[in-house]
Amino acid sequence: MRDFEDYCWRDLLTPEMVQIYSAYHRERTVRSHPALVMIHPPAGFAAIGTEWCETVRALGEAMRQLGLPVIHSVRPGERCDERFGARADEVVCYRTTESAFLLSDLEAHLTRARANGVVLCGAPMSGALRATAVESKSFGYRTAIAEDATGDEASLLRKVALFDVAHKYADVLTADEIIALLTQNAKVSAA
Amino acid sequence: MSDRTSEVPTPAGGWPWEDILDDELRLLLAKRQPRPSLGKRPAIIAVDLYDLVYDGGPRPVIELMDKFPASCGEYAWAALPPTIKLFATARALNVPIVHVNYDNRPETDPANIHPTNRKKRQANLDLYKIKDELAPAEGELVVFKKRASAFFGTPLCAFLNELQADSLLFVGESTSGCLRSSVVEGWSYGYPCFVVADGVYDRYLLNHKVSLLDLHLKYATVVDLASACDAMQAAKAFAEAA
Repeated sequence: MRDFEDYCWRDLLTPEMVQIYSAYHRERTVRSHPALVMIHPPAGFAAIGTEWCETVRALGEAMRQLGLPVIHSVRPGERCDERFGARADEVVCYRTTESAFLLSDLEAHLTRARANGVVLCGAPMSGALRATAVESKSFGYRTAIAEDATGDEASLLRKVALFDVAHKYADVLTADEIIALLTQNAKVSAA
Repeated sequence: MSDRTSEVPTPAGGWPWEDILDDELRLLLAKRQPRPSLGKRPAIIAVDLYDLVYDGGPRPVIELMDKFPASCGEYAWAALPPTIKLFATARALNVPIVHVNYDNRPETDPANIHPTNRKKRQANLDLYKIKDELAPAEGELVVFKKRASAFFGTPLCAFLNELQADSLLFVGESTSGCLRSSVVEGWSYGYPCFVVADGVYDRYLLNHKVSLLDLHLKYATVVDLASACDAMQAAKAFAEAA
Protein backbone atom coordinates (compact mmCIF):
# COMPACT_ATOMS: atom_id res chain seq x y z
CA MET A 1 0.00 0.00 0.00
CA ARG A 2 1.28 3.46 -0.90
CA ASP A 3 1.94 6.17 1.64
CA PHE A 4 -1.16 8.06 2.83
CA GLU A 5 -0.21 11.17 0.84
CA ASP A 6 1.21 9.39 -2.23
CA TYR A 7 -1.81 9.82 -4.49
CA CYS A 8 -2.81 12.22 -7.26
CA TRP A 9 -2.67 15.29 -5.01
CA ARG A 10 1.03 14.80 -4.16
CA ASP A 11 2.14 17.74 -6.34
CA LEU A 12 -0.09 20.13 -4.36
CA LEU A 13 1.38 19.31 -0.98
CA THR A 14 3.39 21.81 1.04
CA PRO A 15 5.10 20.95 4.34
CA GLU A 16 2.53 23.13 6.16
CA MET A 17 -0.40 21.34 4.49
CA VAL A 18 1.02 17.92 5.37
CA GLN A 19 1.54 18.94 8.98
CA ILE A 20 -1.93 20.47 9.42
CA TYR A 21 -3.62 17.42 7.91
CA SER A 22 -1.42 14.87 9.67
CA ALA A 23 -4.11 14.80 12.38
CA TYR A 24 -6.20 12.74 9.93
CA HIS A 25 -3.60 10.11 9.04
CA ARG A 26 -4.77 6.63 9.99
CA GLU A 27 -4.83 3.03 8.90
CA ARG A 28 -6.80 2.45 5.72
CA THR A 29 -8.77 -0.72 5.15
CA VAL A 30 -11.91 -2.19 3.64
CA ARG A 31 -14.52 -4.21 5.51
CA SER A 32 -15.41 -7.84 4.85
CA HIS A 33 -18.53 -7.30 2.74
CA PRO A 34 -18.64 -3.88 1.07
CA ALA A 35 -20.83 -2.99 -1.89
CA LEU A 36 -19.36 -1.25 -4.92
CA VAL A 37 -21.38 1.86 -5.73
CA MET A 38 -20.65 3.14 -9.23
CA ILE A 39 -21.45 6.82 -9.70
CA HIS A 40 -22.42 7.19 -13.35
CA PRO A 41 -21.78 10.75 -14.59
CA PRO A 42 -24.61 12.80 -16.07
CA ALA A 43 -25.15 12.68 -19.84
CA GLY A 44 -22.84 15.09 -21.62
CA PHE A 45 -20.30 15.12 -18.80
CA ALA A 46 -16.87 15.86 -20.27
CA ALA A 47 -14.25 14.17 -18.12
CA ILE A 48 -10.52 14.55 -18.66
CA GLY A 49 -9.16 11.29 -20.06
CA THR A 50 -10.80 7.87 -20.35
CA GLU A 51 -8.38 5.50 -18.58
CA TRP A 52 -10.32 5.80 -15.34
CA CYS A 53 -13.37 4.26 -17.07
CA GLU A 54 -11.37 1.11 -17.78
CA THR A 55 -10.43 0.96 -14.12
CA VAL A 56 -14.09 1.34 -13.10
CA ARG A 57 -14.98 -1.61 -15.32
CA ALA A 58 -12.11 -3.74 -13.99
CA LEU A 59 -12.99 -2.95 -10.37
CA GLY A 60 -16.61 -3.97 -11.02
CA GLU A 61 -15.47 -7.27 -12.54
CA ALA A 62 -13.15 -7.97 -9.60
CA MET A 63 -15.86 -7.30 -7.02
CA ARG A 64 -18.34 -9.54 -8.84
CA GLN A 65 -15.71 -12.30 -8.89
CA LEU A 66 -15.48 -11.96 -5.11
CA GLY A 67 -19.27 -12.24 -4.80
CA LEU A 68 -19.71 -8.65 -3.65
CA PRO A 69 -22.73 -6.53 -4.65
CA VAL A 70 -22.43 -3.89 -7.37
CA ILE A 71 -24.97 -1.05 -7.31
CA HIS A 72 -25.34 1.75 -9.85
CA SER A 73 -26.27 5.37 -9.22
CA VAL A 74 -27.56 7.21 -12.30
CA ARG A 75 -29.33 10.51 -12.88
CA PRO A 76 -33.12 10.12 -13.29
CA GLY A 77 -34.08 9.32 -16.87
CA GLU A 78 -30.52 8.50 -17.86
CA ARG A 79 -28.74 5.21 -18.49
CA CYS A 80 -25.66 3.60 -17.09
CA ASP A 81 -22.41 4.74 -18.68
CA GLU A 82 -21.66 1.99 -21.20
CA ARG A 83 -17.95 2.12 -20.42
CA PHE A 84 -18.58 1.01 -16.81
CA GLY A 85 -19.83 -2.47 -17.77
CA ALA A 86 -23.02 -2.59 -15.68
CA ARG A 87 -24.96 -5.86 -15.83
CA ALA A 88 -28.66 -5.96 -16.57
CA ASP A 89 -29.49 -7.77 -13.31
CA GLU A 90 -27.78 -5.23 -11.02
CA VAL A 91 -29.59 -2.65 -8.89
CA VAL A 92 -29.86 0.87 -10.31
CA CYS A 93 -30.65 3.75 -7.92
CA TYR A 94 -31.75 7.12 -9.23
CA ARG A 95 -29.72 10.09 -8.09
CA THR A 96 -32.13 13.01 -7.84
CA THR A 97 -29.71 15.13 -5.79
CA GLU A 98 -25.94 15.43 -5.67
CA SER A 99 -25.35 12.52 -3.29
CA ALA A 100 -26.34 9.00 -4.33
CA PHE A 101 -27.93 8.63 -0.88
CA LEU A 102 -30.03 11.74 -0.35
CA LEU A 103 -33.68 11.13 -1.37
CA SER A 104 -32.85 7.80 -3.06
CA ASP A 105 -33.29 4.13 -2.11
CA LEU A 106 -29.54 3.41 -1.99
CA GLU A 107 -29.36 3.07 1.80
CA ALA A 108 -32.19 0.49 1.73
CA HIS A 109 -30.43 -1.50 -1.00
CA LEU A 110 -27.18 -1.51 0.99
CA THR A 111 -29.04 -2.77 4.05
CA ARG A 112 -30.75 -5.52 2.03
CA ALA A 113 -27.41 -6.51 0.48
CA ARG A 114 -25.99 -6.80 4.03
CA ALA A 115 -23.21 -4.43 3.03
CA ASN A 116 -20.96 -3.40 5.92
CA GLY A 117 -18.95 -0.95 3.85
CA VAL A 118 -18.97 0.95 0.58
CA VAL A 119 -16.44 1.19 -2.23
CA LEU A 120 -16.94 4.17 -4.55
CA CYS A 121 -15.86 4.91 -8.11
CA GLY A 122 -17.12 6.97 -11.05
CA ALA A 123 -17.56 10.67 -11.72
CA PRO A 124 -17.61 13.55 -11.12
CA MET A 125 -15.20 13.15 -8.21
CA SER A 126 -15.67 16.75 -6.98
CA GLY A 127 -19.46 16.51 -7.30
CA ALA A 128 -21.66 13.45 -6.92
CA LEU A 129 -18.88 11.14 -5.79
CA ARG A 130 -17.62 13.49 -3.11
CA ALA A 131 -21.12 14.18 -1.79
CA THR A 132 -21.80 10.42 -1.74
CA ALA A 133 -18.59 9.71 0.18
CA VAL A 134 -19.52 12.24 2.89
CA GLU A 135 -22.99 10.72 3.27
CA SER A 136 -21.66 7.17 3.20
CA LYS A 137 -19.46 8.04 6.17
CA SER A 138 -22.45 9.80 7.78
CA PHE A 139 -24.52 6.61 7.43
CA GLY A 140 -21.82 4.69 9.28
CA TYR A 141 -20.28 2.78 6.38
CA ARG A 142 -16.53 2.36 6.23
CA THR A 143 -15.99 3.89 2.80
CA ALA A 144 -13.17 3.48 0.30
CA ILE A 145 -12.63 5.34 -2.97
CA ALA A 146 -10.69 3.85 -5.87
CA GLU A 147 -8.59 6.89 -6.77
CA ASP A 148 -7.72 5.76 -10.29
CA ALA A 149 -11.37 4.89 -11.02
CA THR A 150 -12.60 8.49 -10.64
CA GLY A 151 -13.04 11.16 -13.29
CA ASP A 152 -13.62 14.90 -13.30
CA GLU A 153 -13.83 17.93 -15.56
CA ALA A 154 -10.93 19.75 -13.91
CA SER A 155 -7.77 18.21 -12.56
CA LEU A 156 -7.41 20.58 -9.56
CA LEU A 157 -11.00 19.98 -8.41
CA ARG A 158 -10.46 16.21 -8.59
CA LYS A 159 -7.17 16.28 -6.70
CA VAL A 160 -8.41 18.50 -3.88
CA ALA A 161 -11.69 16.58 -3.61
CA LEU A 162 -9.74 13.33 -3.21
CA PHE A 163 -7.39 14.98 -0.72
CA ASP A 164 -10.26 16.36 1.40
CA VAL A 165 -12.20 13.11 1.37
CA ALA A 166 -9.10 10.98 2.04
CA HIS A 167 -8.37 12.96 5.18
CA LYS A 168 -11.86 13.44 6.56
CA TYR A 169 -14.29 10.81 5.33
CA ALA A 170 -13.00 7.85 3.35
CA ASP A 171 -10.04 5.59 2.64
CA VAL A 172 -8.51 6.60 -0.68
CA LEU A 173 -6.63 3.72 -2.33
CA THR A 174 -5.93 2.56 -5.87
CA ALA A 175 -8.32 0.03 -7.40
CA ASP A 176 -5.56 -2.59 -7.22
CA GLU A 177 -4.98 -1.88 -3.54
CA ILE A 178 -8.71 -2.25 -2.84
CA ILE A 179 -8.90 -5.52 -4.79
CA ALA A 180 -5.86 -6.86 -2.90
CA LEU A 181 -7.46 -6.02 0.46
CA LEU A 182 -10.78 -7.59 -0.56
CA THR A 183 -9.02 -10.72 -1.81
CA GLN A 184 -7.12 -10.97 1.46
CA ASN A 185 -10.41 -10.60 3.39
CA ALA A 186 -11.97 -13.38 1.28
CA LYS A 187 -9.02 -15.71 2.02
CA VAL A 188 -9.25 -15.02 5.75
CA SER A 189 -12.98 -15.76 5.87
CA ALA A 190 -12.55 -18.93 3.76
CA ALA A 191 -9.80 -20.25 6.07
CA MET B 1 -40.69 31.05 -5.83
CA SER B 2 -38.60 33.83 -7.22
CA ASP B 3 -37.60 33.69 -10.85
CA ARG B 4 -34.96 36.37 -10.44
CA THR B 5 -31.42 35.25 -11.03
CA SER B 6 -28.46 36.63 -9.19
CA GLU B 7 -26.02 38.87 -10.99
CA VAL B 8 -23.11 37.85 -8.78
CA PRO B 9 -21.23 41.10 -8.24
CA THR B 10 -17.48 40.61 -8.02
CA PRO B 11 -16.44 41.08 -4.38
CA ALA B 12 -14.57 44.30 -3.63
CA GLY B 13 -11.45 42.32 -2.77
CA GLY B 14 -11.78 40.06 -5.86
CA TRP B 15 -12.79 36.40 -5.91
CA PRO B 16 -11.09 34.29 -3.25
CA TRP B 17 -10.05 31.70 -5.86
CA GLU B 18 -8.41 34.02 -8.40
CA ASP B 19 -4.86 32.82 -7.72
CA ILE B 20 -5.65 29.12 -8.17
CA LEU B 21 -7.39 29.35 -11.55
CA ASP B 22 -6.01 27.42 -14.51
CA ASP B 23 -7.42 27.02 -18.03
CA GLU B 24 -9.71 24.12 -17.07
CA LEU B 25 -11.23 26.10 -14.21
CA ARG B 26 -11.59 29.30 -16.26
CA LEU B 27 -13.53 27.28 -18.82
CA LEU B 28 -15.87 25.89 -16.16
CA LEU B 29 -16.40 29.40 -14.72
CA ALA B 30 -17.21 30.72 -18.19
CA LYS B 31 -19.84 27.98 -18.60
CA ARG B 32 -21.42 28.60 -15.18
CA GLN B 33 -25.17 29.19 -15.43
CA PRO B 34 -26.72 32.03 -13.38
CA ARG B 35 -28.46 30.72 -10.26
CA PRO B 36 -31.65 31.92 -8.59
CA SER B 37 -31.27 34.89 -6.28
CA LEU B 38 -32.59 34.91 -2.73
CA GLY B 39 -36.37 34.69 -2.57
CA LYS B 40 -38.74 36.65 -0.37
CA ARG B 41 -37.88 34.85 2.85
CA PRO B 42 -34.22 33.97 3.12
CA ALA B 43 -32.77 32.37 6.24
CA ILE B 44 -29.20 32.29 7.51
CA ILE B 45 -27.63 28.93 8.37
CA ALA B 46 -24.62 29.39 10.66
CA VAL B 47 -22.57 26.18 10.75
CA ASP B 48 -20.41 25.12 13.70
CA LEU B 49 -19.39 28.51 15.11
CA TYR B 50 -18.44 27.09 18.49
CA ASP B 51 -15.59 28.01 20.84
CA LEU B 52 -13.50 25.03 19.74
CA VAL B 53 -12.57 26.58 16.38
CA TYR B 54 -11.42 29.87 17.97
CA ASP B 55 -9.28 28.03 20.51
CA GLY B 56 -5.77 29.44 21.01
CA GLY B 57 -6.58 32.85 19.53
CA PRO B 58 -5.93 34.51 16.15
CA ARG B 59 -2.67 32.72 15.34
CA PRO B 60 -1.55 30.59 12.37
CA VAL B 61 -3.19 27.14 12.43
CA ILE B 62 0.17 25.42 12.22
CA GLU B 63 1.28 27.01 15.52
CA LEU B 64 -1.93 25.94 17.26
CA MET B 65 -2.41 22.41 16.04
CA ASP B 66 -0.54 20.61 18.81
CA LYS B 67 -2.39 22.24 21.70
CA PHE B 68 -5.65 23.12 19.90
CA PRO B 69 -6.12 20.45 17.21
CA ALA B 70 -9.57 21.60 16.08
CA SER B 71 -8.80 25.33 15.92
CA CYS B 72 -9.03 27.34 12.72
CA GLY B 73 -6.94 30.06 14.40
CA GLU B 74 -6.46 33.29 12.49
CA TYR B 75 -9.02 32.32 9.84
CA ALA B 76 -11.77 31.88 12.44
CA TRP B 77 -10.96 35.20 14.09
CA ALA B 78 -10.80 37.06 10.75
CA ALA B 79 -14.32 35.85 9.95
CA LEU B 80 -15.73 36.92 13.30
CA PRO B 81 -16.39 40.67 12.67
CA PRO B 82 -18.07 40.07 9.26
CA THR B 83 -20.25 37.35 10.78
CA ILE B 84 -21.28 39.63 13.66
CA LYS B 85 -22.19 42.28 11.06
CA LEU B 86 -24.16 39.75 9.00
CA PHE B 87 -26.15 38.63 12.05
CA ALA B 88 -26.91 42.26 13.05
CA THR B 89 -28.13 43.07 9.54
CA ALA B 90 -30.24 39.90 9.42
CA ARG B 91 -31.87 40.63 12.77
CA ALA B 92 -32.63 44.22 11.72
CA LEU B 93 -34.34 42.89 8.56
CA ASN B 94 -36.15 40.04 10.38
CA VAL B 95 -34.19 37.41 8.48
CA PRO B 96 -34.18 34.32 10.71
CA ILE B 97 -30.85 32.82 11.79
CA VAL B 98 -30.67 29.06 12.35
CA HIS B 99 -27.60 28.08 14.36
CA VAL B 100 -25.98 24.69 13.86
CA ASN B 101 -24.00 23.13 16.66
CA TYR B 102 -22.50 19.73 17.44
CA ASP B 103 -24.53 17.47 19.73
CA ASN B 104 -21.95 17.01 22.48
CA ARG B 105 -23.93 14.65 24.72
CA PRO B 106 -21.57 11.72 25.39
CA GLU B 107 -24.41 9.19 25.24
CA THR B 108 -25.02 10.08 21.57
CA ASP B 109 -21.52 8.90 20.76
CA PRO B 110 -20.95 5.60 22.56
CA ALA B 111 -18.73 4.07 19.87
CA ASN B 112 -16.61 7.19 19.52
CA ILE B 113 -17.77 7.66 15.94
CA HIS B 114 -17.19 11.18 14.68
CA PRO B 115 -18.26 13.38 11.78
CA THR B 116 -14.75 13.10 10.30
CA ASN B 117 -11.78 10.76 10.63
CA ARG B 118 -9.68 13.24 12.64
CA LYS B 119 -7.52 11.31 15.10
CA LYS B 120 -6.38 14.08 17.42
CA ARG B 121 -9.36 15.48 19.26
CA GLN B 122 -9.99 18.11 21.84
CA ALA B 123 -11.29 16.20 24.84
CA ASN B 124 -13.20 19.12 26.33
CA LEU B 125 -16.79 18.77 25.10
CA ASP B 126 -17.72 22.09 26.74
CA LEU B 127 -16.00 23.86 23.84
CA TYR B 128 -18.96 22.90 21.61
CA LYS B 129 -20.65 26.10 22.72
CA ILE B 130 -21.55 28.78 20.20
CA LYS B 131 -19.18 31.70 20.56
CA ASP B 132 -20.61 34.43 22.80
CA GLU B 133 -20.46 37.12 20.10
CA LEU B 134 -22.50 34.88 17.78
CA ALA B 135 -24.80 33.34 20.39
CA PRO B 136 -28.41 32.65 19.42
CA ALA B 137 -30.74 35.51 20.33
CA GLU B 138 -33.99 34.84 22.22
CA GLY B 139 -36.25 32.73 20.02
CA GLU B 140 -33.65 31.76 17.40
CA LEU B 141 -33.47 28.08 16.45
CA VAL B 142 -30.52 25.79 17.08
CA VAL B 143 -29.96 22.49 15.25
CA PHE B 144 -27.77 19.86 16.91
CA LYS B 145 -26.01 17.52 14.50
CA LYS B 146 -23.77 14.45 14.69
CA ARG B 147 -22.52 14.35 11.11
CA ALA B 148 -20.96 16.69 8.57
CA SER B 149 -24.13 18.15 7.03
CA ALA B 150 -26.50 20.35 9.04
CA PHE B 151 -29.35 18.41 7.39
CA PHE B 152 -28.19 14.85 8.12
CA GLY B 153 -30.38 13.36 10.86
CA THR B 154 -31.63 16.76 12.08
CA PRO B 155 -34.97 18.63 11.91
CA LEU B 156 -33.46 21.42 9.80
CA CYS B 157 -35.77 20.77 6.80
CA ALA B 158 -38.78 20.99 9.11
CA PHE B 159 -37.47 24.17 10.75
CA LEU B 160 -37.03 25.78 7.32
CA ASN B 161 -40.56 24.80 6.32
CA GLU B 162 -41.98 26.16 9.57
CA LEU B 163 -40.05 29.41 9.02
CA GLN B 164 -41.35 29.40 5.41
CA ALA B 165 -37.79 30.03 4.28
CA ASP B 166 -37.38 29.98 0.50
CA SER B 167 -33.62 30.54 0.20
CA LEU B 168 -30.50 30.16 2.33
CA LEU B 169 -27.40 32.18 3.22
CA PHE B 170 -24.55 30.14 4.71
CA VAL B 171 -21.71 31.11 7.02
CA GLY B 172 -19.44 28.95 9.16
CA GLU B 173 -16.81 26.26 8.92
CA SER B 174 -15.07 24.32 7.61
CA THR B 175 -15.33 25.31 3.96
CA SER B 176 -14.27 21.86 2.76
CA GLY B 177 -16.19 19.93 5.44
CA CYS B 178 -19.42 20.68 7.32
CA LEU B 179 -20.09 24.02 5.61
CA ARG B 180 -19.66 22.48 2.17
CA SER B 181 -21.80 19.41 2.78
CA SER B 182 -24.52 21.60 4.33
CA VAL B 183 -24.61 23.82 1.24
CA VAL B 184 -24.69 20.79 -1.09
CA GLU B 185 -27.67 19.38 0.83
CA GLY B 186 -29.40 22.78 1.03
CA TRP B 187 -29.16 22.94 -2.75
CA SER B 188 -30.24 19.28 -2.99
CA TYR B 189 -33.41 20.08 -1.02
CA GLY B 190 -34.25 22.77 -3.57
CA TYR B 191 -33.16 26.00 -1.90
CA PRO B 192 -31.28 28.75 -3.72
CA CYS B 193 -28.07 28.98 -1.66
CA PHE B 194 -25.70 31.88 -1.06
CA VAL B 195 -22.35 31.43 0.64
CA VAL B 196 -21.00 34.50 2.43
CA ALA B 197 -17.29 34.18 1.74
CA ASP B 198 -16.19 36.60 4.49
CA GLY B 199 -17.83 34.39 7.10
CA VAL B 200 -16.52 31.03 5.84
CA TYR B 201 -13.15 29.47 6.64
CA ASP B 202 -11.02 26.35 6.89
CA ARG B 203 -7.62 25.30 8.24
CA TYR B 204 -5.68 25.65 5.00
CA LEU B 205 -6.22 28.21 2.25
CA LEU B 206 -5.98 25.94 -0.80
CA ASN B 207 -8.78 23.67 0.43
CA HIS B 208 -10.84 26.73 1.42
CA LYS B 209 -10.46 28.32 -2.01
CA VAL B 210 -11.14 25.15 -3.99
CA SER B 211 -14.30 24.37 -2.03
CA LEU B 212 -15.60 27.94 -2.40
CA LEU B 213 -14.97 27.72 -6.15
CA ASP B 214 -16.60 24.28 -6.35
CA LEU B 215 -19.66 25.54 -4.45
CA HIS B 216 -19.90 28.56 -6.76
CA LEU B 217 -19.53 26.41 -9.88
CA LYS B 218 -21.96 23.68 -8.91
CA TYR B 219 -24.48 24.64 -6.24
CA ALA B 220 -24.43 28.15 -4.85
CA THR B 221 -23.65 31.81 -5.36
CA VAL B 222 -20.60 32.99 -3.45
CA VAL B 223 -20.89 36.61 -2.29
CA ASP B 224 -19.00 38.92 0.06
CA LEU B 225 -20.53 40.45 3.19
CA ALA B 226 -21.67 43.68 1.48
CA SER B 227 -23.45 41.76 -1.30
CA ALA B 228 -25.05 39.41 1.24
CA CYS B 229 -26.46 42.39 3.17
CA ASP B 230 -27.67 43.99 -0.09
CA ALA B 231 -29.30 40.69 -1.10
CA MET B 232 -31.18 40.47 2.22
CA GLN B 233 -32.34 44.07 1.77
CA ALA B 234 -33.45 43.31 -1.79
CA ALA B 235 -35.32 40.21 -0.61
CA LYS B 236 -37.20 42.34 1.93
CA ALA B 237 -38.09 44.94 -0.73
CA PHE B 238 -39.13 42.12 -3.10
CA ALA B 239 -41.38 40.59 -0.43
CA GLU B 240 -42.96 43.94 0.44
CA ALA B 241 -43.62 44.79 -3.22
CA ALA B 242 -45.30 41.44 -3.83
